[in-house]
Amino acid sequence: MALLDKKSKKAFSDPLMSNNPISLQVLGICSALAVTVKMDTAVVMSLAVIFVLAVSNTVIALLRKMIPGKVRIIVQLSVIASMVVFIDLVLKAYFYDMSKQLSVFVGLIITNCIIMGRAEAFAMQNGPWRSLLDGIGNGIGYGGILIGVAFFRELLGSGTFYGIQIIPDSFYAAGYENMGLMVLSPGAFIILGLIVWAQRLIANIEEE
Amino acid sequence: MHSNKYTLIFTAVLTIILGFFVSTADSSLKDMREKNIEADIRKNILSSLGFKETLESPWTNERVEEIFSESIIGFVVDSAGSVIDGKNPKDINPDKDFKEFPIYKRVSGEEVEGYSIPISGKGLWGTMYGYFSIEPDGATAKGITFYSHIETPGLGAEVDKPWFQNNFPGKKFVDPNGKLIGIQAMKGGVDETSPEAYHQVDGISGATMTTNGLNSFLYEGLKNYDPYLSKIRSSLSL
Repeated sequence: MALLDKKSKKAFSDPLMSNNPISLQVLGICSALAVTVKMDTAVVMSLAVIFVLAVSNTVIALLRKMIPGKVRIIVQLSVIASMVVFIDLVLKAYFYDMSKQLSVFVGLIITNCIIMGRAEAFAMQNGPWRSLLDGIGNGIGYGGILIGVAFFRELLGSGTFYGIQIIPDSFYAAGYENMGLMVLSPGAFIILGLIVWAQRLIANIEEE
Repeated sequence: MHSNKYTLIFTAVLTIILGFFVSTADSSLKDMREKNIEADIRKNILSSLGFKETLESPWTNERVEEIFSESIIGFVVDSAGSVIDGKNPKDINPDKDFKEFPIYKRVSGEEVEGYSIPISGKGLWGTMYGYFSIEPDGATAKGITFYSHIETPGLGAEVDKPWFQNNFPGKKFVDPNGKLIGIQAMKGGVDETSPEAYHQVDGISGATMTTNGLNSFLYEGLKNYDPYLSKIRSSLSL
């Protein structure tokens, strides 16, 4: 098996666009709403999810022939939960302020449907290499949408990008105001809805 | 199909491996985590006492440590208002020492520039934690900060916004007779012409429960320190 045969490439690239976990499968929405007020939290959350997805997918793919069918969900969850606790500990040790802002949402990666979904639907049937690619692909697909939502929410809600002011003071002097709605969760729903619509339009997907 | 015996052994082994992995990670990162938590508490004490983080000298753990040892003295007072000699706020055992209260003093040379006390109590959704700082006269608010709460964003969570916190400096929490009266966040704003305005601040619309909670736990918190603060007040008025 070549390292990047067609199927492996597909495992990596499908979730980026044509089978994106958030905008096409509509999974993992709650964290996408919660951590996208600012760019920095969205980026760290995305990296955390990419890590957890990649590692848990690989581990589960390695164990897939050994995992007893009756308890497979619990086994998957234990692997995922261990990775999530690990990343939470790392954040608390090295990025304390960030982990305070992300608060419970790092822990809630455990219940993120994307990760359980990939473990059950992909890693249980495929080898470790392909599962790793699938994990990274889905993680990036998730992160891309998160960062996209965060970009608009931070720009419209706070007038900043990565904490740096973008909207010039002269605009505010002329009566421009930040959109309070964008800082609240409903703002994320609206942005996310627009992204889902735009992406389905571009990817030319029709509901049956 | 795997047998029950296999299933049991598999899950046991997996649990042991994962448990070992997680606990190793936990114990090896513990020191750093605890340092961060301590530095975070110190950051809150510093900002309640009017220190500001700047872009030129960001508050790294080392920088916080430096400012703290330069200009903050932490000590413990008892319920009679006496300083307990040789006791640091760190030495308080929260399970045993209910009647001992930590207090932080900002000094510049010999001069006291303010006091900071921890405050906590119930908001609407959960416990709010913060610091309340007091001018050297022992009667005037210098500032208030919150470092942990789970109040509603846009409503109760406004307690950690500057517009709300900036209402506090200059307000008195004792009445002209020297009796503790607390500071009340008022629904609908303060009537500046009222004789009571000296101990009132603008409340937060839509966050009645949060501000009621704040009013009462700020008062309760100050009550613990009142014996000590009234000593300061009387020593100044002599």
